[in-house]
Amino acid sequence: MTIHLTETGDNPVSMQCTHDFRVNCGNCRLNGICLPLALESDDIQQLDDIIQRSKPLQKNQHLYRESDGFESVYAVRSGTLKAYKTTDDGREQVTGFYFPGEILGMDGISNNIHASSAKALETSAICEIPFSSLEKLSTLMPNLQRHFFQLMSREITEDQQLITLLSKNSADERVAALMLSISTRNARRKLSATQFRLPMSRVDIGNYLGLTVETVSRVFSRMQKMEVLRVDNKEIEILDIESLRSMANMGSP
Amino acid sequence: MTSIPQDLVASTGIPQEYKADMELASKYASLGPRYTSYPTAPQFRRDFPMDDYRNWQGCDGDHKRDPLSLYIHLPFCHDICYYCACNKVVTRRKGVAQQYLGRLQQEIVQQSRLVGDQRPITQMHWGGGTPTYLDHAQITELMHMLASHFRLLDKGYREYSIEIDPRTIESDTVALLKGVGFNRISLGIQDFDPLVQKAVNRIQPYHSVAPLVDCIRSHGFRSLSFDLIYGLPHQDRFTMAETLRKVISLRPDRIACYNYAHLPERFSSQRSIDRLTLPQPEEKLLLHEIISHTLQDAGYLHIGMDHYVLPEDELAMAQVEGRLQRNFQGYSLHMADDLLGLGVSAISQMGDFYLQNERDLASYYELVDGGSLPTTRGCRVSVDDKLRRHVIMSLISDLKLDISECSQQFGIDFNQMFQDELIQLQPLEEDGLLTISKGKISVNKRGRPFLRNICMPFDAYLGAHSGDDPPPKFSATV
Repeated sequence: MTIHLTETGDNPVSMQCTHDFRVNCGNCRLNGICLPLALESDDIQQLDDIIQRSKPLQKNQHLYRESDGFESVYAVRSGTLKAYKTTDDGREQVTGFYFPGEILGMDGISNNIHASSAKALETSAICEIPFSSLEKLSTLMPNLQRHFFQLMSREITEDQQLITLLSKNSADERVAALMLSISTRNARRKLSATQFRLPMSRVDIGNYLGLTVETVSRVFSRMQKMEVLRVDNKEIEILDIESLRSMANMGSP
Repeated sequence: MTSIPQDLVASTGIPQEYKADMELASKYASLGPRYTSYPTAPQFRRDFPMDDYRNWQGCDGDHKRDPLSLYIHLPFCHDICYYCACNKVVTRRKGVAQQYLGRLQQEIVQQSRLVGDQRPITQMHWGGGTPTYLDHAQITELMHMLASHFRLLDKGYREYSIEIDPRTIESDTVALLKGVGFNRISLGIQDFDPLVQKAVNRIQPYHSVAPLVDCIRSHGFRSLSFDLIYGLPHQDRFTMAETLRKVISLRPDRIACYNYAHLPERFSSQRSIDRLTLPQPEEKLLLHEIISHTLQDAGYLHIGMDHYVLPEDELAMAQVEGRLQRNFQGYSLHMADDLLGLGVSAISQMGDFYLQNERDLASYYELVDGGSLPTTRGCRVSVDDKLRRHVIMSLISDLKLDISECSQQFGIDFNQMFQDELIQLQPLEEDGLLTISKGKISVNKRGRPFLRNICMPFDAYLGAHSGDDPPPKFSATV
């Protein structure tokens, strides 16, 4: 586990995004995503006790690095992270983006070592859920561990589906699929599905989608011209979600 | 796809080339083991030397570091398939899978302590029962358990495979399996004919399997394998030709065909099959020939024991290079000498030992709950067993045996020691199944369907059963 902390870092607590590490499961606005509904408030307290909340990660700080041992999974409370692998020739390959309420680190599950690194794209607050403590706690609350495996399997499945989608389609389809994915994930945590700010750079988007930066920009311009999106640097507004869906070749939900 | 024997479908006449093969097949049709191990499982006993095994595991040596293969048995099924002879539990009762996972976890902890957690797991197979009886969370949990107690690999050369019942999974299950580390899938197809499917209580139409195959391919699985069965109720030459046409159109990398053995007195589920609907012996031989000819005409290679692979598949290359092995999961690449089986009834092959876990689920639970290893039967492989195992496995996997090398390796005079066996093989040689020279036995193309017959003379237990269960009734060799 490698949470790199800066002792002097500022701690911007905003109204929408709480980076406050003193928050607990009981009052976290994401607990509807994270917690089993059946947990009693006593149980929530016990779960809360094993979850480690450190100071927020600053932009470009690592949560864990490739080949670190797999000991915990991490829930994003605020901010955004990117996961990436280093290829044999030393290049970075972005493998995923993680938004609030999402869990990352599951790439370690099949061999007990993290297969990729995770880095904050902006100031991000993280809940660390150590697996050994979770296992101990699960003897008292059998539903809890099961719930976490459920959450994890959902995340693994969605990651793979997106990777598959991105591996075979055209540039337009890939960019559209990513925009739709972000929109759906926003909606899940009750944020606007049509208006959002991209936390990642065009370089990261291109790297993730296997496209050049120029191509990403060209696709954005084209979508803007077709009045599917309004793009203002990192601010995105989806104007025509049906056209976006048909561009992504995904049909209706 | 020029593979369908149109003349066969068009008329009820049987082509000449099939006839010759059928005559041969009917001549060699007898009962015999499938040789997934030697000695075969019926020779295992309750009073095997478990202490010697523990002592061996307690010593340091290459067997603490060498690659290891894992097999995990998941016995539950939602519905019964009438032909099935596997160790399984048919139930829809909630919670059974979770209870089983709990026991599996305890066994994994114990085995990891005994076997060690440093051996790289080059191969892993989840079989059943129906492994996809587990829900998504349980699949993730089991993989996490295994990864916490064994050294799983993320290398591209690993072979992690799972058997899938096409009726139980959706595209998101395929994505999950990929995400937790599987790279090979095997689908239980059995037969595409609706009447046959109904008669065996396994309904999975072609139009639902085809998209699943697309989905598996799009998720980048390296290898897809189909299981087919011949000798099922209502199968005939026409339904088989049509099933094969559909199979070939989906182009799986590997196809394994199994001969249905109707033994209702031994397997209660088979009592639901009406004996009168089974193909007559002659028709069944024809089915076997249709499969063999059709698949080979479509470009598949017959590697032996009714297993067919595309020429570019790793198994085809491995056979040429002598890297093929046969174990409880059929043919595979030889990547590890030892195999550890986990779960009820699972069989392990470790060093000089074969070990089998308790076959009854309740007793398996009892043993694990009591804190002991659930191993209840086994055998220690003797020097003679090892020699015979080498001969049998070489013939089955490499389709040849280097006599001089074998003599040298085991310090024997092969031709003298196996005088009688070689005499028994003579009629088979006269029929063109194999060629025996002073230095080598090679199985001819004609002999590939009869590997069991070719191996049986070398099996010392066929006339001298030594297991503590009554001697088994084997399935038909052809």
